[in-house]
Amino acid sequence: MADSVDPALTSSSATASVPAQPASTIANPPSQQTQNLPIRESKSAKSPAPSDKQSGKNKDASKPAAAGSDGAAAAATDKPLTPAELKKKAKAEKAARRAKEKLAKEAGGAGAAGGSAPGAIQGRPPATPKKDAAGGASQKGQKAVQPRRGSAPTGQTAADEPTKKEDKSVAVFGHLYGQPRRTTIAGAGKEVHSAVLALGLQLRDYVVCGSSARCVATLLAFKRVIESYTTPLGTSLSRHLTTHLSHQITYLSTCRPLSISQGNAIRALKLAISSVDPSTPELSAKATLCEFIDNFIREKITVADQVIAQSAAQKVQNGDVIVTFAGSSIVKQTLLTAHKQGKRFRVSIIDSRPLFEGKNLARALANAGLDVQYSLVHGISHAIKDATKVFLGAHAMTSNGRLYSRVGTALVAMSAKERAGGVEVPVIVCCETVKFTDRVALDSIVVNEIADADELVSAQPLPQVTGLVDPEVPTKPDNKKGGKGASSAPKPDPSASSLNPSPSPLSNWKENTNLQLLNIMYDVTPAEYVDMVVTEMGSLPPSAVPIVHRMSTNL
Amino acid sequence: MATTTEGTAAAGSKPFDIVATYNELLRSDPDITMPIAAIEALVHVLTHSPSSTISETLDLLEKSTAHLKQSIPNPIGLSAGTDLFQRYLITTLQRPGQLGPAGDFKAIRTHLLSNGRLFIRRAKESRQKIAAFGRGFIRDGCTVLTNGGSRAVASLLQKAADEEGGPSAVRFRVIYVLSSISQNIEEPSGEPEGMETVRALRAKGVPVSTIPESAVAYALGKADMVIVGAEGVVENGGIVSRMGTYQIGLLAKAIGKPFYVVAESHKFVRLFPLGQYDLPIEQHVVDFKSADDIAEDKKKKQHSSVDASGNKPIELPLSDSVDFTPPHLISALITDSGVLTPSAVSEELIKIWF
Repeated sequence: MADSVDPALTSSSATASVPAQPASTIANPPSQQTQNLPIRESKSAKSPAPSDKQSGKNKDASKPAAAGSDGAAAAATDKPLTPAELKKKAKAEKAARRAKEKLAKEAGGAGAAGGSAPGAIQGRPPATPKKDAAGGASQKGQKAVQPRRGSAPTGQTAADEPTKKEDKSVAVFGHLYGQPRRTTIAGAGKEVHSAVLALGLQLRDYVVCGSSARCVATLLAFKRVIESYTTPLGTSLSRHLTTHLSHQITYLSTCRPLSISQGNAIRALKLAISSVDPSTPELSAKATLCEFIDNFIREKITVADQVIAQSAAQKVQNGDVIVTFAGSSIVKQTLLTAHKQGKRFRVSIIDSRPLFEGKNLARALANAGLDVQYSLVHGISHAIKDATKVFLGAHAMTSNGRLYSRVGTALVAMSAKERAGGVEVPVIVCCETVKFTDRVALDSIVVNEIADADELVSAQPLPQVTGLVDPEVPTKPDNKKGGKGASSAPKPDPSASSLNPSPSPLSNWKENTNLQLLNIMYDVTPAEYVDMVVTEMGSLPPSAVPIVHRMSTNL
Repeated sequence: MATTTEGTAAAGSKPFDIVATYNELLRSDPDITMPIAAIEALVHVLTHSPSSTISETLDLLEKSTAHLKQSIPNPIGLSAGTDLFQRYLITTLQRPGQLGPAGDFKAIRTHLLSNGRLFIRRAKESRQKIAAFGRGFIRDGCTVLTNGGSRAVASLLQKAADEEGGPSAVRFRVIYVLSSISQNIEEPSGEPEGMETVRALRAKGVPVSTIPESAVAYALGKADMVIVGAEGVVENGGIVSRMGTYQIGLLAKAIGKPFYVVAESHKFVRLFPLGQYDLPIEQHVVDFKSADDIAEDKKKKQHSSVDASGNKPIELPLSDSVDFTPPHLISALITDSGVLTPSAVSEELIKIWF
């Protein structure tokens, strides 16, 4: 009951404390979000005061603005209400929907205009004070409903989450929040092959991760689909198989948006299917298609990787310090090839949360006997200081020569090219031509992928951080002044013990009305930051990407 | 160099020495470029060899190319020619029809040889084409800064000078940067590279000023554009050229003058240097020495002159050293296939290779 007494107060206190924390502790939320926070903080700080004064009549006007989350929460508490109240509630919900649509329109318009902060100011804040107001109003109006309303945020139902999440989308990236990723295989169409079902979950959980790996895995799964496929009566293979495959593709794309390489491979496969002569017997047609898939994987990925590794390894020289970002399989292969050629060089891997793809790369290279240094992205200025070359993997190369890759790549490329002292470090991208696309990327906002923001929360090893800090604090004074160490040592202990049991401050970020988390997957590196793209068709400047793409698709 | 050619000629039972042919071709014809000399040498190899199968021909070609590349201190220029010829052979042989793998080998061979000669003739004409394309760049009253002994630049400037008195009389001046390095090698009496062009231009009534390399920054303010030649045009659109070109490019960029490169399209090399020190040649331009090192070097030199063993890697003399001008310094490349931006070079190269 204690928490239900004053929801407006709890929410305001939360907003006061939380924005301060992310600014200091979280490195990940993008600058755009940190920009917004102070603005909203000031607004919400004002909001509780008027809300308490609001009369019962204001409730109808204010309640509508409360986002759908309230509607669902309120729906669960409908039972004790009188019919009159029910009617009122239905009316309020309808108004809420309208208001929400209007808000969404405003936010969308503002977001599309490119102003990140103004968009948030116009679109979002009105929802927060009104929600508070609704809380305050309901508190006065209906004592019976109250406890439930207050407790609703802590004990959320599953049905609640999608609506809450929509509320939590970062305005500039609003268009990227599609459907949430599929969580189970329940509800998948019966046409979806079991291999594809499994692959979908693997893709979602990053078990199969990386552009090439996803492409190969998809093709292999489709090969099994084709193997177990029988043409229904009355249709031909070349016509029906494509639709059959598109069911599989739709399923895969609900698990995780398809990569450029997957799209290219699927396009090639569909073309091969449609060019199957309808008069060929089904068995031989299927055999041809399976062979096509095998050839595609061999030519476009396996052999291509070998060729790229060979030619990129030539660029590695004795004494080089090579910086790479996250874990690209092709970069790994390149470095291992160079190592096998007897070249002596050091590798500095820069990694980032929440996927930590660089860890595997670090281990693989260290096991192979290379000299590896591993640091996270905040150590980039140190890592780049003695770098002589930067090798990057790619998710895709766009037609304007830009590199579309794991978020953070652009930062690494930029630090390499704009290093203080004017010394340029060559940035080399290793990329198969199957990852080339005819799309053009001007920024990383229009096309991108947003992963579940919870990944940012759960992966945070907060207890470990405090655990690490604690022993250091007492030792520091020891080092400085031996005598005073004893007196200063006990000081940090109580704070540590109070911090340790507390969960991550972000763990219930969904209840914090002013907190948004952004887990973006990719970014775009300008072509000027890329010196060279190593493909299986040779080394190119980034400006040659569209030419090679045109040729490799025409072949 | 002479020792290596002698050595191979003595060791191998080859009746024909490609390196000697290549050097002879370069010496006998002042107009010939390195890639063309290489192609011509390869055509000579094919005519002299009794090869009777395709794989034998290709094998011979590969071996002599490798041999040629090893024996020449700076193989960047010639590798453009050999690669081009090899590529041409392979595409001709892969083509279906009478000249394809199924056809009569003798016919293929004669076809190859005649086409190889045709190719050489065309390449020689390309300089005229370039002059025609590039003439428009030199306008009335402008001043051109140039360097080195590029024949393509010379022919372009002379073509523009020829117009004097004609319908499109172009009056222009030339600032000629003369290399100081070439003066202090073995023959100090020898005139610096490019003097011939200077004389020719002066004879045609073009006012020419010659400046040392150290005066480039000073003189660039008076120039309207920079036109240089190139030994090889690499894949990202940069050029490998006579030492000193890079600094002219940097200065031109800093002062904001257009920097044009004149190069035949057969000089396009499949090479992608990442910087100055990523070129596939050995050159010791920056050579740190202490007094002890110099003394030791002297001792070694005396020793080796007694030994006369030519087994060491061939070093490029300082006067022949090259540098790499990155593409962002280049405004345009004037080639026989048109005026290209640096990024279009890779497109041209890809067209040739695939």
